[in-house]
Amino acid sequence: MMRLTLMLAMAMLLSGCNLPNPYAPPTPPRQVPGGAPSLPPSPESQTPVETLPAPEPVPEPSPAPPPREYQLSSASRSLVDQAHAQMVAGNFVVAAGSIERALRIEPNNPLLWIELGKLRQAEGNHAQAENLGRKALSLATGDPRTQSSAWRLVAESLRARGRGPEAREAEARADALVLR
Amino acid sequence: MSRTSRRTRRLRRVLILVALLAIIADAIFVFYLDRRVTSQFEGRRWTLPAQVFAQPLELYAGLGLSVDALEAELARLQYTRASDLTRPGTYRRRGSRLDIAARRAQFVDEVREARTISVITGSGGVTRLVDMNGTQLPIFRLDPLLIGSIFPIHGEDRIVVTPQEVPPLLPTALMVVEDRRFETHHGVDLEAILRAAWVNVRAGAIEQGGSTLTQQLVRSYFLDERQTLWRKIKEAVMAVILEARFEKADLMNAYINEIYLGQDGQRAIHGFGLASQFYFGKPLNELSLSEIALLVAIVRGPSYYDPRKHPERALARRDLVLKLLSDFGAVGEADARKAIKQPLEVTASVTAGYYPAYLDFVRRTLRRDYREEDLTEAGLKIFTSLDPRVQATAERALVDELKRLDQRYKEKQVLLEGATVVTAPQSGDVVAIVGGRQTGLDGFNRALDAKRSIGSLAKPVVYLAALETGRYNAASLIDDAPIEVKLPGGKLWRPENFTHQAHGLVPLTRALADSLNLATVHLGLDVGVPKVAQTFTRLGLDKTPDPNPALILGALDLSPLEVAQLYNSLANGGFRTPLRAVRDVLSAEGTALKAFPLEVTPVADSATVYQLNRMLTKVTQRGTGRAVYNRIPPDVIVAGKTGTSSDFRDSWFAGFAGNHLAVVWIGFDDNRPTGLTGSAGALTVWSNLMRRLDPESWDATLPESLTEVWIEYPTGLVANPGCADDVVSIAVPKDSELPIKPGCGEDPLSDFAERTRQWLEGIIRQ
Repeated sequence: MMRLTLMLAMAMLLSGCNLPNPYAPPTPPRQVPGGAPSLPPSPESQTPVETLPAPEPVPEPSPAPPPREYQLSSASRSLVDQAHAQMVAGNFVVAAGSIERALRIEPNNPLLWIELGKLRQAEGNHAQAENLGRKALSLATGDPRTQSSAWRLVAESLRARGRGPEAREAEARADALVLR
Repeated sequence: MSRTSRRTRRLRRVLILVALLAIIADAIFVFYLDRRVTSQFEGRRWTLPAQVFAQPLELYAGLGLSVDALEAELARLQYTRASDLTRPGTYRRRGSRLDIAARRAQFVDEVREARTISVITGSGGVTRLVDMNGTQLPIFRLDPLLIGSIFPIHGEDRIVVTPQEVPPLLPTALMVVEDRRFETHHGVDLEAILRAAWVNVRAGAIEQGGSTLTQQLVRSYFLDERQTLWRKIKEAVMAVILEARFEKADLMNAYINEIYLGQDGQRAIHGFGLASQFYFGKPLNELSLSEIALLVAIVRGPSYYDPRKHPERALARRDLVLKLLSDFGAVGEADARKAIKQPLEVTASVTAGYYPAYLDFVRRTLRRDYREEDLTEAGLKIFTSLDPRVQATAERALVDELKRLDQRYKEKQVLLEGATVVTAPQSGDVVAIVGGRQTGLDGFNRALDAKRSIGSLAKPVVYLAALETGRYNAASLIDDAPIEVKLPGGKLWRPENFTHQAHGLVPLTRALADSLNLATVHLGLDVGVPKVAQTFTRLGLDKTPDPNPALILGALDLSPLEVAQLYNSLANGGFRTPLRAVRDVLSAEGTALKAFPLEVTPVADSATVYQLNRMLTKVTQRGTGRAVYNRIPPDVIVAGKTGTSSDFRDSWFAGFAGNHLAVVWIGFDDNRPTGLTGSAGALTVWSNLMRRLDPESWDATLPESLTEVWIEYPTGLVANPGCADDVVSIAVPKDSELPIKPGCGEDPLSDFAERTRQWLEGIIRQ
């Protein structure tokens, strides 16, 4: 019951702001227009929010908008610092192990996947660097800065394999994200 | 010259000759033995089976373990409570704070010396970590649990200890009990032999042995177990040679590492280092007086005084040892009395902390890179992903449910079996493997070797292939109608629904959630069976399945581990990560030899996989997997799929929460029907397991290319929760065109109804 009240409160709070409400049905119960990213919330789409029944016995994923900026926890931070020191000493295997320890604590943090990707790139494993960059991208929704550094990693790994045009495209995406 | 004297002379000559020959033979014999004993003993290198470790528990602020749970983890590592914390391997609890004297531990990147830390917990778990100076620690790992070793065929397993790792009381106790004149004799103790003989003659049975520690060492190291006079003589000679050639301290250390102290199936427990782990689960230098006394008691007859099988005998002899120690002044009288009051305190089962199914997977992984001798002799240290807490939970969940199900079957000769694999999806770590109901038995490993028909577990692969065509989304309608398919052999295949009913047009999400066979066959045939087969391979199956139409309904035999690899790619958002048990291999000297790094390969578009995973959450919320919420808290989102093969021969459940993926199989080894559906046996195990692991919700963020929509569950029409009773939310690509339930919202486009009709017809024609 408390959850329900909480969710209702949150739903109303969100409806007050200009943020899409994850529980509300998508704005128009008409066609979902192609590719238009920002739908102005129409008045009728706001109304059901006030009387929103319990959506389903089980709440839906992502009840809150994704964080705007990913950060490392202090445990991850210290492990990444340790990994950097180990990389400087040329010990890539052990450095990767340190980042993997952090990933077990925060597997959904794209920053850690980018760190591991950078390590692979430094080590010369460009294919893995790209894959890890793409893994980071799949997690970095809503965080343009992190998305940008993931694209930059992808671009570097492509460039290292002589795939210039693709690299430039990835680089352009990285630039566009931070200029936005 | 008289004949007698001649004869005497001849006899004397013969005797001298014989004596000479005997002396020469003797000299050769002793020389030979000396060469053999000295060279073997000097160059002695015990074959050191590889030691296998679980993943260490990482402590950090934010770790969601309560103070009680942490204490349970310390108990698993055999840490004992103490108020002063002077010895590593102890801890004390003060309310919500734990002070831990952590042991020295070897990791891949460092040897961490023993160190005392404090863990401060709050309602949500660990809040702070500080060392003894009050300095904040960002992260700290406990010593990894030793989970077993890879010992050779002849079964000799041991952990070698250096003299520094031996508590001083142990050699003293061995001398008091086994060989009181060890410090002074020359290998053989005549007085002890005579005394033993006297005692034995009086008792009419062998009650006392007169062997010195050196003789026992010789017997164990050089000779077999036959009890002949010739062997006795050889033993005595070799003991004298050893004594002449080596220091007493060397011999004592050799004894401590060599001697046989127990049996665990095929595995022979040698040396006090391993015996300490085997009986008490902790290092030798942490043993208490009563524990040392028990090990010394066991020396005399490891099977007769087995403390697990014959606790009364073992206890009586331990107390005798303690009394002797006190009589000879090796320990104080008060200490001995206190120790006598202690119970035996050996770890619960012979196989406690020993996981044969998991070790089997470790061994198979390593055999690709190492020769058998490297594994059984070279003293490698293997660091694995096993999570002891998850493993223990998985074992309990499976065994409890199998025992409960046993009551359903009249015939008790053949027991229902099962297997479980648990992974951490993002890292591909295999954190637990249960290979059967006898979890401590190194037998048939069903998790790896039971290839069973996967039934409906195949459906998510079919639906992923369908979504990937771009022609379908979670709301698209498919026809759940009777169908006949001509198989390659010319046979006609008439699949049926579980309920033997057809449901007509249903949205994809419902067809998957309710596991509708007819709808799925229509879908799979439209997508194309070869495309479905190829999707299996892409997700991580190491062979391409036969593109037979029956593949759509899971006519494919896979092991639980193979299923885990497939579903792991889904749980990991379309990235394939090879499932791995081994992380690192270290040499005996502690240098890293090999790492099995985390690698990812994108195998499916992550937005498409997200759509599928959203559909899989409907299986547990609305569909055949609903019963998971009998045990899992309703606010935790999990995704999964039930599976049942024809005639109920196999009961499957595969699914994941945010932090763990688990695959459970239940069935009979001889493949007879079980009468269980996927939602009965395997689902119960899965949900009990997940509940006890405090699952995190599956909460992947909505990809930017998708949007969330409510649709009516039976019809797939877009509807608000306010205007229809039975709605579910799905994720679809932003440019999807979805028909609306009449009366749900206004339609700004006048021709929308017509377009919807056409669109629907288009779907039906497919």
